[in-house]
Amino acid sequence: MQGAPEILVVDDNPADAVLVRESLAETSHQSHIYSVTDATEALAYLRRQRKYQMTARPDLVILDLNLVHRDGHKFLTVIKSDSGLRQIPVVVFSSSESLSDITRSYLLGANCYVSKPADLKRYFSAVRAIEEFWFGYASLPKKENDERSSCARIAD
Amino acid sequence: MATVGISNPKSRLRLLLLEEHGIGEDPTVWEMDYDGGALPGDPRHTPEKLHKWLTSKKICPCEPRKMAETDLARKMEELSRSNRELEQFAYVASHDLREPLRMVATYTQLLAERYRGKLDRNADQYMEYATDGALRMQALIQDLLDLSRVGREGGKKQSIDCDAVLEEVLRDMSSSIRDSGAIIQHEKLPAVTADRCYLLQLFQNLIGNAIKFRAKAPLEISVAAEAEGKYWRFTISDNGIGIAPDCQENIFTVFQRLHARTEYPGNGIGLAICKKIVEQYGGKIWVDSKPGTGSQFKFTLPAGQPCEQGAS
Repeated sequence: MQGAPEILVVDDNPADAVLVRESLAETSHQSHIYSVTDATEALAYLRRQRKYQMTARPDLVILDLNLVHRDGHKFLTVIKSDSGLRQIPVVVFSSSESLSDITRSYLLGANCYVSKPADLKRYFSAVRAIEEFWFGYASLPKKENDERSSCARIAD
Repeated sequence: MATVGISNPKSRLRLLLLEEHGIGEDPTVWEMDYDGGALPGDPRHTPEKLHKWLTSKKICPCEPRKMAETDLARKMEELSRSNRELEQFAYVASHDLREPLRMVATYTQLLAERYRGKLDRNADQYMEYATDGALRMQALIQDLLDLSRVGREGGKKQSIDCDAVLEEVLRDMSSSIRDSGAIIQHEKLPAVTADRCYLLQLFQNLIGNAIKFRAKAPLEISVAAEAEGKYWRFTISDNGIGIAPDCQENIFTVFQRLHARTEYPGNGIGLAICKKIVEQYGGKIWVDSKPGTGSQFKFTLPAGQPCEQGAS
């Protein structure tokens, strides 16, 4: 993996985003974490619209289901039906343990579902395990901007 | 004198005219479905005028029995509605409380982790109390959710072989059975009509209690069933510490605990869940117990289809 991993956290509760940040503060991956609190903002980020034109495309999205305007399931539907975005792995990270939420998330194309543990230590280890799996073991597709830069190199 | 009342039980207006004849006599009740047509005159009309109008339309006074029946039906409907609302409330409250409470619990834990030993000794103690309180509340809310789920999801009614259920429970609990040195005996158990998941929970809670409240003597638990009309009566006996007679009723109430948390862990929800499960199928649950000699928990459940021969 080239450079530090980029992770986008979509969670309506900023306190949760802080916890994700705290969880990954001292790991070896040194992930860059960005957080947004609603789906519209998240889509603008992923599509690099508005103030996000210069941001890097994330390698992983950590998504909470309880979003305000559009719920997490709708957001999942949108990015998994967008040919430019659907290759980005999405980990649903939700406090819901209901089977219907879990099943629905997978049906909509979530790459993984993890329930937010209520205990701090378990919360930390869950987030670290997510990071370790996606950036320590899994192979990820090339990012669009990486492709562009490698094409540019060939042209040179 | 007469009283006029208009009530609206099923979106159809109902007109009620009560005529009191005198002290000690039952009032005559006029009841008719009111279809929204013109009432005789002003709504502030006198009862006398209304009476005249009712007789002119050949509307007869209701029979008291019919009145009582409508009344009962109305009350039943009200009761089941408020029951439904209560179930819904318990679920929503506990479900929605979980999220902010998770924040309190994780952040007090984070505070404690980051600042333990960096403030003063009191601060360390306070953070410990706050974390402990939040974690305990989380456990209570989880229990409430479990309890409210029993009624809300409306368990299935299937014929379930209790022998297989008990075997599964004993397998699941094998480590605590081994640790307590319990000897568990059971006869061949019959099939009952209930939900398999509820039955698992029922047996697990009762056997779990027998293990938890064991005495110093080697623990012996036995499970038996006897036919009782269309029901089976199950008995789970132990030789544990037993329950004082005046506490035997209380133990089935939510969050009722007879012992200090430090003595025996738990929130006091297990038997409340058992009661709710059994009552959902029209059964009863009770306990016969003598302190120092042990307890016999008994419950009844409707009989199921007998198991096929050779299936065992």
